[in-house]
Amino acid sequence: MSARHQLVALTLVVLLTALVGSAHGQAVRNPDTYVVVRFADPETLDPAYAYDTASSEIILWHIYETLIFFNGSSTGLFVPMLATEVPSAANGGISRDGRTYTFKIREGVRFHDGSPMTADDVKYSLMRFMFMDRDGGPSALLLEAILNVHGTRDERGTLNMALFQEADRAIQVRGNTVSITLKQPFAPFLSIMAAWSMVQSKRWAVQNGDWDGTAATLARFNNPKKPEDTVMFNKANGTGPFKLVQWDRQTRQTILERNEGYWRRPAAFRRVIIRVVEDFGARRLMLQNGDADFAEINRPEIPQVEGLPGVRVIDDLSALITDGIFMNMRIDTSGGNPDVGSGRLDGNGIPPDFFADLNVRRGIAQAFDYNTMIRDCWRGKASVGNGPIPKGLFGYNPQGKWYAYDPQRAAAAFREARGGQLWATGFRFGLLFNTGNATRQCMGQVLKAGVEALNPRFRVDVRSITFPQLLQLYRESKLPMWVIGWAADYPDADNFVTPFLHSSGTYSKAQGYNNPEMDRLIQQARFETDPAKRRATYARIQEIAYNDVTTLYSYRVTVRVMRTWVRGWYHNPAFFAPYIYPMSKSP
Amino acid sequence: MAAYIARRLVMLPLVAFGVTVLIFALLSFLDPAVRAGAFITNPNQLKAIDSIIRTYGLDRPIYEQYWTWLREVFRGNLGWSQTARMPVREAIAAFFPGTLELTFYAFVPIMLIGVWLGTAAAVHRDRLVDHLSRIFSISFRSLPSFVWGLLVLMVFYGRLSWFPPGRLSLDADLFVRSGQFHAYTGLVTLDALLNGQLWIFADALRHIAGPAITLTMVSIALLVRLMRSSMLEVLNQDYVRTARSKGLAEPVVIDKHARRNALIPVITLSSYTIVSLLGGVVITETIFNFPGIGRWGAFAAQQLDIPGVTGFTMFVAALTVLGNLAADVLYVFFDPRIRLR
Repeated sequence: MSARHQLVALTLVVLLTALVGSAHGQAVRNPDTYVVVRFADPETLDPAYAYDTASSEIILWHIYETLIFFNGSSTGLFVPMLATEVPSAANGGISRDGRTYTFKIREGVRFHDGSPMTADDVKYSLMRFMFMDRDGGPSALLLEAILNVHGTRDERGTLNMALFQEADRAIQVRGNTVSITLKQPFAPFLSIMAAWSMVQSKRWAVQNGDWDGTAATLARFNNPKKPEDTVMFNKANGTGPFKLVQWDRQTRQTILERNEGYWRRPAAFRRVIIRVVEDFGARRLMLQNGDADFAEINRPEIPQVEGLPGVRVIDDLSALITDGIFMNMRIDTSGGNPDVGSGRLDGNGIPPDFFADLNVRRGIAQAFDYNTMIRDCWRGKASVGNGPIPKGLFGYNPQGKWYAYDPQRAAAAFREARGGQLWATGFRFGLLFNTGNATRQCMGQVLKAGVEALNPRFRVDVRSITFPQLLQLYRESKLPMWVIGWAADYPDADNFVTPFLHSSGTYSKAQGYNNPEMDRLIQQARFETDPAKRRATYARIQEIAYNDVTTLYSYRVTVRVMRTWVRGWYHNPAFFAPYIYPMSKSP
Repeated sequence: MAAYIARRLVMLPLVAFGVTVLIFALLSFLDPAVRAGAFITNPNQLKAIDSIIRTYGLDRPIYEQYWTWLREVFRGNLGWSQTARMPVREAIAAFFPGTLELTFYAFVPIMLIGVWLGTAAAVHRDRLVDHLSRIFSISFRSLPSFVWGLLVLMVFYGRLSWFPPGRLSLDADLFVRSGQFHAYTGLVTLDALLNGQLWIFADALRHIAGPAITLTMVSIALLVRLMRSSMLEVLNQDYVRTARSKGLAEPVVIDKHARRNALIPVITLSSYTIVSLLGGVVITETIFNFPGIGRWGAFAAQQLDIPGVTGFTMFVAALTVLGNLAADVLYVFFDPRIRLR
């Protein structure tokens, strides 16, 4: 290399070093635009189709609004939104029998296209939400509350037309009020209305070719095969503080702009951009450079964003999620099931009804090292649960008993199990979790360590399978023991006790758990509108959950990561994502 | 030659058909509930597995499902891609231009630098240039693309703020959507020039630079090495000696006589490079959040988005057939000794 070349090279190196070392200014980037980076696309923007967090994050309370809203950080207190007051027995909004709720609809609210919102729009939106009823959609939430049915179709997929007439009678519009008469009193009703009563413009929807709200066209509208089949898939006309500009599925971002004709003071942000950035590295750098104001970050990656200049990490926020290790009391062993080994109690497997023995379940519950689980698997960001109802939700009983890690008692329970036979023969079964979920894997290993330490003939195989495979085994009742979580659809204890403990529940049914007393109490709590009595019923449910111990529970906390220049953010466990309306940016 | 090209083109639909049969045959190994997983985004939907299977006919015999799909294809409907959130045909149209653009901006430097560096290494054999070119190209090749991708991102975006991820920055993106900008081709840099918006062009270039640099780094090694060995071989040929002994100036010998002939094997390699770049560079596109076709294809495969995977595979199969055909034709053009039959 000649002297001249060396000089050039040296200059380049110095220049590069200087550039690399240069500090970034901390002035607020894009002060009137709020940029979110997250890792999943919304499935649709249609409020009656969407049942994923990514979709709700965009539409709920930003584009569409609900009749009532959560009061600050509370999950059980409400404030009016598109209604002018929260119905209560005191203000006459809830009938004496607890079945009819009357909402006075706010006047002077306009949709994004400028047309006024009416009580008819509210009824249309509720009907539309219930009767779209796509497979796996959210419609059941309102169908169950109002009509006490799970779906609009029978086993063979035939639409039940009588249901439409029933719903049409249940929801009545009188002037500017909408009254909804439930088939049975339903305590969580206001909670559901706060989260799922998004109002759309009927006139606009019909003009754009959506359902006209009549029974005649219902069959065509019901159960769309793909998200695109509905008009509101990528078009919107709500009343919210932001209007939809575009959902660009190519560049994977959604752009909203401020609704200048909003019924309250217009939002501080002129624009909101919600962008999908799958790679964590890019997401982190965008946050660091101030190109993103808010980033969705997985728990294991949190240490990598902590301490970044200009970035705020807010941890230990309560979340309405219960994770469980589930025991199956009626395992399907037909056609071979590798996770039950021999399928008999011979030391090389377990029989189908292995977990039906209460002593086995109590043995497991006391062989599980809860503190190690919280410390190692959750890094302290969770707590031991005493039932399905997570901490902070109405109905959670802080005094409720739960098991402690106690190898001696665990051994005693196992010695009594199956007529004393189990201790001598031993067992072997699989504990399954979805691949890639390190927390669940760790939980499985903690359980394995505790159980296997009791007796060399006890064997637990912790096995990972993909989520779709887990679905298959779940459906076939082939999972002996598995780890999964449940996030609230709406903040009410009923949304937890039903899937975990009712004989028809999503998880309890798959576990073969059926306790008529439990079913009765769950029903009772669901219909009970007196808070004190309701709380007592949930305490009783917790007690039975402790006695019957079908599942080991834990409650996680959640974390939010944003730029320090973000103002006005607050947390409510019922939110799927931050509520942007009160937010702004300033240094 | 025309007959040869026609014959190869006839193969195209056959290859595409074969690929789809293969995919559906593989599908038959999957349980319907596993496939229903593509429609389930949260555990609260678990109860709907059976109705999803019924609605989408996931438990019907696989040949029936294939027939249903094929019938739709003949109607011009490639199905709905659950992962792209749009019909498969739209997804290909939406994601391919990005990949095409990225391919162009990676391919040009790969070729130019590769050929230049390979030539220089051969001409200055065993000298500093040769050693350096080998060290660089081998070290670029020996680390996986996600490492280089992240490094490029950290240095050029994290530190220098030169080359941000994504396709366009906020202002440029909003301008492109504002209605004042006409998307003629879907290739953002080209559209920017056609619209006379130089700042959009510069902005798009800034965004494409990161992935293009990464791809250049990881793909260049093979080319440099091939060019170098091919050049060395040619330099030892009689006609090069003849040219030199005629008294031709060295640059003329290298450029006109040696390099042209040394380029022939490079053309083959370059056509493979193009095809593999066009098929989408999954990791690089993901790291730079670049909306290309590879990222979509990989995501569709992960999520068992069957129409998406099938459409993507058919498209890439067609690209491969066309790419190889183009290489064959180019070969004839560059090397008169070869005849296609």
